[in-house]
Amino acid sequence: MLFSSIPFLYYFLPITLLMYFIAPKKFRNTVLLLASLIFYAWGGVRYVLLMVVSILIGYISGLLIEKAKTGKTRKFLMIVSVVFELSLLIYFKYADFFISNFNAATGLSVSLLNVVLPIGISFYTFQILSYIIDVYRKEVPAQKNVISLATYIALFPQLIAGPIVRYSDIEKQLNKRTISFDKIYEGAQRFIIGLSKKILIANQLGEFCNIFRDMDEKTVLFHWGYAIAFTLHIYFDFSGYSDMAIGLGKVLGFEFLENFNYPYISKSITEFWRRWHMSLGTWFRDYVYIPLGGNRVSKSRHIINIIIVWMLTGFWHGAAWNFILWGLMFAVLLIVEKFLFAKKKSKENKENLCVSAFKHVYVLFFVIISFVLFNSETLGQAMGDIKGMFGMEVISFSSEETLYYLRSYLVVFIISVIGSLPFAKSAVLKLSQSKGIGTIVEIIKPILLVILLLLSTAYLVDGSFNPFLYFRF
Amino acid sequence: MVLKINVIRTIIVVAVWLALSICCFFKQSDKASESERRYLSQFPEMSVEGILDGTFMTDFEKYTLDQFPMRDTFRTFKAMACYYGFLQKDNNGIYVADGYAAALEYPMNEKMILGATDKMKYLYNKYVEGNCENVYITVIPDKNCFLADKHGYLSMDYAKVFELVKDNTNFAEYIDIVDGVLDVSDYYKTDTHWRQECLVDVANKLSLGMNMGAVTKDKFEVLEADTDFYGVYYGQAALPMKSEKIFYLTNSILEKCEVYNYETDKVTQIYDMDKMNSRDPYEMFLSGAAALLTIENKNATTDKELVVFRDSFGSSIIPLIAEQYTKITLIDTRYIASDLIENYVEFNGQDVLFMYSTILLNNSMTMK
Repeated sequence: MLFSSIPFLYYFLPITLLMYFIAPKKFRNTVLLLASLIFYAWGGVRYVLLMVVSILIGYISGLLIEKAKTGKTRKFLMIVSVVFELSLLIYFKYADFFISNFNAATGLSVSLLNVVLPIGISFYTFQILSYIIDVYRKEVPAQKNVISLATYIALFPQLIAGPIVRYSDIEKQLNKRTISFDKIYEGAQRFIIGLSKKILIANQLGEFCNIFRDMDEKTVLFHWGYAIAFTLHIYFDFSGYSDMAIGLGKVLGFEFLENFNYPYISKSITEFWRRWHMSLGTWFRDYVYIPLGGNRVSKSRHIINIIIVWMLTGFWHGAAWNFILWGLMFAVLLIVEKFLFAKKKSKENKENLCVSAFKHVYVLFFVIISFVLFNSETLGQAMGDIKGMFGMEVISFSSEETLYYLRSYLVVFIISVIGSLPFAKSAVLKLSQSKGIGTIVEIIKPILLVILLLLSTAYLVDGSFNPFLYFRF
Repeated sequence: MVLKINVIRTIIVVAVWLALSICCFFKQSDKASESERRYLSQFPEMSVEGILDGTFMTDFEKYTLDQFPMRDTFRTFKAMACYYGFLQKDNNGIYVADGYAAALEYPMNEKMILGATDKMKYLYNKYVEGNCENVYITVIPDKNCFLADKHGYLSMDYAKVFELVKDNTNFAEYIDIVDGVLDVSDYYKTDTHWRQECLVDVANKLSLGMNMGAVTKDKFEVLEADTDFYGVYYGQAALPMKSEKIFYLTNSILEKCEVYNYETDKVTQIYDMDKMNSRDPYEMFLSGAAALLTIENKNATTDKELVVFRDSFGSSIIPLIAEQYTKITLIDTRYIASDLIENYVEFNGQDVLFMYSTILLNNSMTMK
């Protein structure tokens, strides 16, 4: 079920919240779990069983690891359960990729499995893995209550598109959480803002990208328009979803960590990844990069560690070479930044405006190129799109058609650029805090939220473009 | 004070949300949407099979979209946000300029147009060649021809469309009905089609092009149909637009013509007044979409017969030349396969006219 759908907004969510709030505290997790299973089943009943099995294996593993007497047994149990969870992920997500590459390399024709990817499997598998590893590391105690653990893994706000919530972050909240008017309002506000980001901005940018794809005669200008539109689209789509997840969590009494922090203002790729999909970045850091030795190893080993982590990050996003290359592209940029730029940076304390501007341009340039690669169905298409941006495969710089669509989507572009920067939020915050105006702002806010909710509903009712990008991961 | 504000603002947001939700649960289902001219999805049948294969969920989502309370108001809200908030040029491919709503018909699809001329050629070779001597072709431009480019909207190269059709139908004599006689005001503001009361000059040009007599205004009486007409773009644009009036031209000869519909096996008149209260009042012209019709005219001014391969634009212009023919056969190959025509129509010396709109030519996959 999509957050940005009428069944979710006006059927599932009100009933779930009603049941949740009227249920006695000790049954609230049960209500959430049942609701989450229904939410998940809406997208494919048959995969509920798979998720339940994954959860049960995680649950039993946690208990066994905790009870194991020797370190070797603990490690063995941890490895077995991690391998089991990963093999489910590999089977459902990567089997056909490996088979097709095997066929291409050997000339054989092993039949593809054509398995349908269960929604959200990458997200919930990573959550289960974090739980198992944290229990193994004795960072958290094993959860004795299967309902509580299942609630954590299957919790519908973050089940199918993240953020990847770490068990250690909400362990206490699973048993005790507070609900208040303030939190409900803040949660609703965050949810509606996320919904609006998704429906009013991301979907429209997605339409622009689709127009580009369907166009026969593409121009250099339209290639750039597409690349920028997709870069903004994926940000508003994914951060909008994260906002909705965080907002819903708040309404239910949970506090999820932030997943985005204005990544497009970054001045380095390193900074970009501290601001983009933060829950995934920290997951790979804590469960792959650091166990590999992190940066406390030789220079060559450090470089290898970076390459492994970023290749896996790319591969996590999808079973295709463009995702692997996308990850590797960031690995190269990060290595360059760490081993070349880092030395220069230490010598320069202050940077002038030109240097600062150059850094922004550098980050945006490579991020835009990376997302063109990311959004391509084949490597050939990616190369075609990138060549097109530099006038290597197109006939003209611009056309009547290009200008028509750029004009038509100009306001969406302007709003999305402003929305991707922190200034608008800071301005509203300052106004809220100032005397006199602050009260007016606080009064206007709920009215604006209602307008945004109604407008988003209007766009949904009109049946426009609506898929979530991160569902395929 | 702060607590009160917190409570009030929470209640405002939750109340609106909840109110809409309650309306969703308790609103009675509508059968059809008048503005969109279609039946609306109903609550799907619940079955284990449907739930397991996901069809119940898909159908339920369609149902919730179709039956959303105040659906038309929300669609208007969206359209207004699109035009006046985001300043987008079109909303779902529909734009409004000079008070006329139109659907973007872009880009020109050369393959489709050539596909259409190939189908016409097939019909000519199969039925007309050797049986009928006078073969004509004309192309009816959609209103974008006069509206789009002028207001900065994307439009086909109409001159190229006409040339393509002309060059690829050398079996027929091309009649230009655009130059000097057609304008955007000849079209309904809220609909795809043209206004019959504005087509006398076009009909005259067509008639003269087919070596028939002149068509003049004084031959007809202009009557107003008793209906408020909201065309197909009214629903699609979802913007507040005024209703229009349908006028039709008639005379004593046209009133006595008999229209036979092969599908329904019914005989009606040229103007089917029962259709005025239907979803699409434009269907009053020759009863709307029909695979095969004949207009029999015992009082014709000549003894000639005509076969017209046409689309819906033909319904309103053919009556204006009907008084000159004893029999006109109208064939719409969107609704009848080309190979089946021989079961119903004998080609034997009639004049033949191919008359299609640019909308159909550019989307000719619907021609069978």
